Amino acid sequence: MWAIAVIGVFLLAAIGAPLFVVILAAAMTGFFYADIPLTVITIEIYRLVDTPMLLALPLFTFSGYILSESALSSRLVRLTQVFLGWMPGGLAVVAFVTCAFFTAFTGASGVTIVAVGALLFPALVQAGYPERFSLGLVTTSGSLGLLLAPSLPLILYGVIVQQMDLENPFTLQDLFIAGVLPALLMIVLLTIYSVWTTRSIPLIRRQFTRQEAKQAVWDMKWELPLPVIVLGGIYTGFFAVSEAAAVTTMYVLIVEVGILREIRLAKLSGIIVDAMVMVGGILLILGVSLAFTNYLIDAEIPQQIFDLIRIYISNKFTFLVLLNIALLFLGAILDIFSALVIMVPLIVPIAIGFGIDPVHLGIIFLANMQIGYFTPPIGMNLFIASYRFKRSISELYRSTIPFMLVLLVALIVITYVPEVSLMFLDR
Amino acid sequence: MIGKLRRVLHLVENSLLVTALITMLLIAIMQILLRNFFDGGFLWAESFLRILVLWVAMLGALVATRENNHITIDALTRFLPGRKIVLLVSNLAAGVICGVVAWFAFEFVGYEYEDQTVAFANVPTWLCQSILPVGFTGMSLRFLITSITGLFD
Repeated sequence: MWAIAVIGVFLLAAIGAPLFVVILAAAMTGFFYADIPLTVITIEIYRLVDTPMLLALPLFTFSGYILSESALSSRLVRLTQVFLGWMPGGLAVVAFVTCAFFTAFTGASGVTIVAVGALLFPALVQAGYPERFSLGLVTTSGSLGLLLAPSLPLILYGVIVQQMDLENPFTLQDLFIAGVLPALLMIVLLTIYSVWTTRSIPLIRRQFTRQEAKQAVWDMKWELPLPVIVLGGIYTGFFAVSEAAAVTTMYVLIVEVGILREIRLAKLSGIIVDAMVMVGGILLILGVSLAFTNYLIDAEIPQQIFDLIRIYISNKFTFLVLLNIALLFLGAILDIFSALVIMVPLIVPIAIGFGIDPVHLGIIFLANMQIGYFTPPIGMNLFIASYRFKRSISELYRSTIPFMLVLLVALIVITYVPEVSLMFLDR
Repeated sequence: MIGKLRRVLHLVENSLLVTALITMLLIAIMQILLRNFFDGGFLWAESFLRILVLWVAMLGALVATRENNHITIDALTRFLPGRKIVLLVSNLAAGVICGVVAWFAFEFVGYEYEDQTVAFANVPTWLCQSILPVGFTGMSLRFLITSITGLFD
């Protein structure tokens, strides 16, 4: 019977049943055979109410949706173009910086490729960059800001780990600080690669003019304070993360709807519903996995996996290699939020057993997921880019692979040099 | 007639969702202002905000079911034959499983109703929790209906 139930759960997943249903089925099977009344499932879902900082998720999602509906993308591209476009490889740097910033604020849902990538791709080709290179660059950049505050996956990782009652807890602020250098490392390596591969191609570089710079800054005057409010507020500890989310959302609403009027009031309810459908999907999965994780911990599954792994792997480094491979694979087949919600409660106790800091683990986890977004054959951003730029999927495989290799180098550094993440933290 | 009822239902869901989110935003802002300028803040507001997150989550999930927009692992389904049968089975299973959860959620809320505990201010806990049975019942019905109508598409 046991085996049939387990096979049933896997079949459900395979035929594309909603993920929360699959997890519910797994939790029900587990509790049923452990003779625990199924009411526990609702009790666990209701624990969403006790999860700290969760408020940040719907609010930041909402502000992200508004920002991606506004004309911020074009203003942002223009501003970075004026200030960074004159450098060698300037336009590539523009792409990396703009995408990182945009993704951090809007979440890596593929919207960066559609909103920013669609502006940058023609600009890159026009400036003389080869088409395949530009395509790969834009697709790779689509998930680049994942490690920067206030990206939703980073917040979700913090939220999940915080309710696990670790011995060595951390704050969301710690995570936000830890993500900065790894993100910079990725941008720097990608820039070096871009400048090096295009060294023999005559590129058109922009001239820096004061007039243009003034105009670009002036156009962005309402959105420029945003990073200061959010990042300044969070990093100095003036705002809790959920408060920063509320202030950001209010500010963005006032600016985009009230002052710039790029989003009509009539459209706002539609945007809210769209954003909350995404939030609902994620939080429901979070809620049911609270129940499932409770079962797993009750049955001491993480401990058993740990003991099992321990038989074959004794050192941290081998474990990290396997972790990276597993996560890269996972990042390609699961969307990032489900991967976080399902895997983090399992992996965190095991990783801590191997002496890995939970903050460092979070950065490793998300760096893998970021690459998973465009890992062939099924990384989500490959399909979005293929659809948006009307290129065949195999062309996208070929164009992104060099960038993927560069980011794998960054991933290795991030994984094996914990200081890159933890340098500024007192851990 | 059914079409009209459905439109009204959708409108109600959407309005509740929008109201919940806007309320959440306004209360969060109010708390920040009170804390920074008046050294105060309402005790009930924190609890209310947390309950609102749950409501937004469940209402959002309900609409996600309506729009067939739940997160799935679709890596495999693309290559599966017999699309109609696959959809029928997955929707049917989802409907039944949500139905079971709804059943136990009603029981859970029932216990709370008997205990008459208060979540915050004068709002009883069972009322805050009621979105769980309501949400899961709604999702269950939607999955079941889709599994049947999907056959005739």
